[in-house]
Amino acid sequence: MSSNRMIHDVAIVAMGCTPFRDHWTSSADDLVVEAVNEAVAGVAGLTLSDIDAFWVGTQGSGMSGQTLSKPLRMSGKPVTRVENYCATGSEAFRNAAYAVASGAYDMVMAAGVEKLKDANVSGLTAVWPPADGSDVDWTAPAGFSLLAPAYQSAHGVDDQTLRQVLTAIAVKNHANGALNERAQFRKPVSAETVEKAPRIAGPLGVMDCSGVSDGAATAILVRAEDAHKYTDKPIFLRGMGFVSGSGEGLATDGYDFSTFPEVVEAARVAYEQAGVTDPATQIDLAEVHDCFTPTELVLMEDLGFSERGKGWRDVLDGRYELSGALPVNPDGGLKSFGHPIGATGLRMMFEAWLQLRGEAGKRQVPDAELALTQNLGGQPGSCVAFVAVLGNALGGEKR
Amino acid sequence: MPDRPGISAYAAYLPLHLLNDTRLGPGPSLGGRRCRSVANHDEDALTMAVEVAGLLGESTESAPRLLVASTSAPYTARTAATLVHEALGLSAAVSAVDLAGHRAGFTALDLAVESSSLAVASDTRLTRPGAPDELGQGDAAVAFLGGTAAAAELLGRGSRTLELLDRWRLPGEVVDRTWDERFTADVLVEAAGDAVRSTLEAAGVESADIVVVSSTNPRAGAALRRALGSDGSDAALEAVVGFTGAAHPGLLLADALDRAEPGQTILLVSAADGADAWLLRVGDGVRTARRGRSVAELVARRQPVAYADHLRWKGLLDVQGPARPASAPPAAPPMHRRRGWKYRLEAVRCADCSTVTTPPGKACAGCGSTAGGKPELLHASEATVVSVTQDLLTTMPVPSVAVVVADFDGGGRLSGYATDVAADDVAVGARMRPTFRRMWTTEGIHNYFWKLRPVEGSDVE
Repeated sequence: MSSNRMIHDVAIVAMGCTPFRDHWTSSADDLVVEAVNEAVAGVAGLTLSDIDAFWVGTQGSGMSGQTLSKPLRMSGKPVTRVENYCATGSEAFRNAAYAVASGAYDMVMAAGVEKLKDANVSGLTAVWPPADGSDVDWTAPAGFSLLAPAYQSAHGVDDQTLRQVLTAIAVKNHANGALNERAQFRKPVSAETVEKAPRIAGPLGVMDCSGVSDGAATAILVRAEDAHKYTDKPIFLRGMGFVSGSGEGLATDGYDFSTFPEVVEAARVAYEQAGVTDPATQIDLAEVHDCFTPTELVLMEDLGFSERGKGWRDVLDGRYELSGALPVNPDGGLKSFGHPIGATGLRMMFEAWLQLRGEAGKRQVPDAELALTQNLGGQPGSCVAFVAVLGNALGGEKR
Repeated sequence: MPDRPGISAYAAYLPLHLLNDTRLGPGPSLGGRRCRSVANHDEDALTMAVEVAGLLGESTESAPRLLVASTSAPYTARTAATLVHEALGLSAAVSAVDLAGHRAGFTALDLAVESSSLAVASDTRLTRPGAPDELGQGDAAVAFLGGTAAAAELLGRGSRTLELLDRWRLPGEVVDRTWDERFTADVLVEAAGDAVRSTLEAAGVESADIVVVSSTNPRAGAALRRALGSDGSDAALEAVVGFTGAAHPGLLLADALDRAEPGQTILLVSAADGADAWLLRVGDGVRTARRGRSVAELVARRQPVAYADHLRWKGLLDVQGPARPASAPPAAPPMHRRRGWKYRLEAVRCADCSTVTTPPGKACAGCGSTAGGKPELLHASEATVVSVTQDLLTTMPVPSVAVVVADFDGGGRLSGYATDVAADDVAVGARMRPTFRRMWTTEGIHNYFWKLRPVEGSDVE
């Protein structure tokens, strides 16, 4: 079994990302066109027809490749629609990367889009195949809140301390989002606001949850050797891993809900490809899947940023704040930037793109050279997980 | 057919809750010491039938027929007994039939004794808020297995059939209508008197040691108890449970059997749409013939439910829920394909690594082997909570519901709803056991599956 670094390295030469909002006046079609146009405009003289093939990710805002080709009224191009739960945007990127690395295409686009706010419900919805009715009708926060008591039980963290940790994560990500014009929520929040929010699942309140929003994001990918034809400051894919879990965590005994084994494995693959041996010190910034506050806590350990069982302490010590040793979710994360499912994975890369190019403004992490994006979908015990390492230089020996 | 037809085993079930206060606002309580039995929001006649019949265990496998009696079957046209049949894992050759109407509770018992069959009588009873008998109706289920007379031998029976507009309900309605009971009581009492005379004659006895009277009509019930010499135990139980519809004759009989000594005689009278009576002699095996808790224990373990909760559970108070779509209705082909899992919690134990996979599928969740394995029944096993959350956006008629992941003692995991427990009272490490409940009803389809309820001290037998 192997998951190799690609024969050809891959670079991102342009990106687009709409603001994530309640886009009452824009459709999914409008948003995808906006994000495509921004990326295309990022390369002087480039037109849509220069791009050879497209991957578009959406969880439920479109069917087929026409999710992209129709709103653009684009003819004669291959477009593949992908879906992989909340990791859909990363999945579009992953497939697009393989397409240029293989040599089949010279320039491709990965796009992600979601229009959530046209549904008259508070959270996420999905259409599942007909079933026998034996499954719990989980809300996303309920599924992820299982992490909290399990983490407490595994590592001896009391209720009050856990609350402080979760609050700190929410406050941090909102503080970061407040510095980001494209974020859905652009106001810092106090600990009191987080803790007084209505409770919705387990210990989680509304302010422990990511923002439900509309948005789209795009990336244009080429082989690394071609990257400088299009931009002075490409960013390079150094490694990526993807794992689709067996769901055993919900199907048999053993799994304890204090970790995402799928993330651990995806990170191992990405780190190996990227030559990262000590992520806690080598990664300069990380965009992680903070769908709910306990998720970010557990991810700090699964990604090797904190020792197992010590993540809560590192959070309280400010290690992951913008000014900390390893800024996590400097753009605000799902929590504050918002979470239009299909767009999220590419939105994470958009922040890596800005940071590694030194264009993140007030959020700029000094001397950022190596960034991580981590995107997951499903729920603890049964999820899909993506991890990528991106750098502003190619780095590493080619295989 | 045994030489001496009788009852070989029996079990009773009362839901966990009681209602004893029906005040809508400030003011004195009107109920006195009366209370009624209240099924949880996820219970109905069918789930309680599965619960109580399950108590009889493997002894039900010999029954050639399953009879399910109720006045509150969750479907009107389709047979409810087939689901109970599936949940019990009875042979497909065993027939299963519903009996409806107030008289059916006794009739099911009678047919079961006559044909060594399994009778289940289960009912949930509804009244409007403020109805005079609001605390006079209740929810319960009983199961009786006909056969050898371990619990009781049938010495005589008698019946009177009559046409009478006493207590009725139109299709689609949820509460009964009644005629002036000063009229109906007289007619029922006369019919019951005749049925009792026939019964005693058939048995060749003058009177019985214990008299148990069940009636849809409280006035008739009281008159018959006085006239026939009840010691008041039947009335006392009814006063704290309510009239439990089709389950009532069996519930009162179960309570009498719980307390009777071998050799004593019991006269059971049911005055409902006519009258039926039995004379029984209590068998030597009566103590072991009872499965599960005694009726007195079931009465004593109950907890009061707030009136507002009761009204909400029963659909009499429509409370604004979350902005969340209704849970999906189950589909017929997947339910049929996975009926072992859905109705019996039948998982699979891997032939290669012994891991138990839930729900069962082609591949083992432990080792990935597709070599198959053996069915593993989980519905009678206990489990320990691995993690728990509370869903405060639930579409169920409660403010929040606990959702747990629990591991069964012999292997296997279930993600499921907790029930019969406050959402915040379930902790990691808690001990739970499966219970068959109605999860939700969407697009006219009831979705039944197993939930988990706390293990109680008296679960250990």
